[in-house]
Amino acid sequence: MTAAVEAQRLVKHFGGRGGTVEAVRGVDLSVSKGEVFGFLGPNGAGKSTTVKMLTTLMSITSGTALVAGVDVAADPDAARRRIGVALQEAGLDPRQTGRELLVLQARLFGSPRGEAADRAQSLLELVDLVEAADRRIKGYSGGMKRRLDLASALVHEPEVLFLDEPTTGLDPASRLTVWDEVRRINRRGTTVFLTTQYLEEADALCDRLAIIDGGVIVREGTPSELKSQLRERQGLAYGPTLDEVFLDATGRTRERIEGEVQEVHA
Amino acid sequence: MSDTWVLGQRGLRETLRTPDSLIPTLFIPVFFLVVNVGQAGKIFPSGTTPFLEGQNYAAFQLPSSLLLAASFGTAALYLVEDIEGGYFDKLRAAPVSRTSIVLGRLVAEGAKNLAITAVMVLLALPFGISIATGPLGFVLLLLLTAGWAVVFAGFMQLIALKTRSAAATNAGGLVFFPLLFLTPNFVPRDLLTRPMEIAATFNPVTYIMEAMRSFILEDWTWSRLGPGFAVVAVLGVVMVVLNVRMIRTYD
Ligand SMILES: Nc1ncnc2c1ncn2[C@@H]1O[C@H](COP(=O)(O)OP(=O)(O)OP(=O)(O)O)[C@@H](O)[C@H]1O
Ligand SMILES: [Mg+2]
Repeated sequence: MTAAVEAQRLVKHFGGRGGTVEAVRGVDLSVSKGEVFGFLGPNGAGKSTTVKMLTTLMSITSGTALVAGVDVAADPDAARRRIGVALQEAGLDPRQTGRELLVLQARLFGSPRGEAADRAQSLLELVDLVEAADRRIKGYSGGMKRRLDLASALVHEPEVLFLDEPTTGLDPASRLTVWDEVRRINRRGTTVFLTTQYLEEADALCDRLAIIDGGVIVREGTPSELKSQLRERQGLAYGPTLDEVFLDATGRTRERIEGEVQEVHA
Repeated sequence: MSDTWVLGQRGLRETLRTPDSLIPTLFIPVFFLVVNVGQAGKIFPSGTTPFLEGQNYAAFQLPSSLLLAASFGTAALYLVEDIEGGYFDKLRAAPVSRTSIVLGRLVAEGAKNLAITAVMVLLALPFGISIATGPLGFVLLLLLTAGWAVVFAGFMQLIALKTRSAAATNAGGLVFFPLLFLTPNFVPRDLLTRPMEIAATFNPVTYIMEAMRSFILEDWTWSRLGPGFAVVAVLGVVMVVLNVRMIRTYD
């Protein structure tokens, strides 16, 4: 059985006036079919860059990436048919209505007109946007936009769904709705690759996760594996939280963060 | 092909939903037409000016105004909005040919310009302007003008894709100044001063303008119509190829 995502020594350099930025420096990833995979890391760690490379939206400096068994660099269109992606910044067109946007997206993925309309309707129901469906997206709230963006990533029932911080900026109720949604999508057999800043989200949703820092993977495993590793290594008497795993992995200890905060206040 | 049309419809929808953006496109060229004819019309009376072929000076000036209306490149500004708003990434994530993504916008721009040019010509008819080549000439005149609109929008899209900035794209649009004014704008090419004539001869827009004039003033004269269409066809292909290349390597 091929993996849903298989990346080897993935590298991304950005050339700019101020020299090259090495955003991703040799990332290996292996996500099994049917998993919800969490991809964590501090700001600027290279999460979004990795997601964009895996979803054909950005060229790969070196290394290879197979998604749903397709080499994304060699055959991007075949990969695109199997991938759904909702990026960190919801990419919507404010002048269309929610329904128009979904119909257009479904048609670009090959559905004929009638089928696209049906698909749009069922997705609108799924993300609870039926009432707002025929209003322009310009007037949607942040949470509505996120939900519409999520729906638009699902028009073609992708095998692998990439969600880059899907719950950032959502109220607690909407966040739970998205969690339910992710679980439901996953139950239907879609592999989910999800980045997040919220560790309780990773804990609640993800079967396995990787932590990236400075462009390299620093931890990988199931949430409980990672927690018990830390517990053993530090000889802790209590079970650490995923937050502690994260802080340990990224070298941002509580003490240091508190120290930094004090300096700022001084 | 059907992807191009689906994306083209979206482009047209966008235009229809921002009707305000059409106001300058119509108003500025009509303003120039009225002012230029008002200032220079007396120098070129229709009876004694051979190059007018019996029509008035407005008939001679109309093509400049039509070209001006076709040189706004609004499609590129919408493209910058798509890029800034992230919608462009959504389109790029779809399994459609990169050519369709480029052509979708350009088709919409062409269709919009067909409508604008038609309105302007029809408004001009009551003011003593007629199309010497008749209804077929009218249709081809529209297509030629729309072809230029597509070329110009294609050029501005290149700037948009390169800079991803509305300000830079707007600034790039200012090339319409030399392009439209280093032409036989007020008199035919053989009446220009020598340096102007040389500049106009190197400017591709000259041949489009001369072809448009030929539709309005003369009987079918393929030696003047042909170069205009050739220029639009060649530049059109160049722009599409460059746009597609740019999207393929877009990061
Ligand atoms: N287009 C670009 N040009 C130059 N540098 C870039 C570009 N995109 C990202 N970078 C740099 O690459 C690094 C990784 O950025 P990336 O967006 O992948 O981080 P991230 O993990 O998604 O962060 P966040 O949690 O803030 O979203 C950063 O240093 C960023 O400045
Ligand atoms: Mg990010």
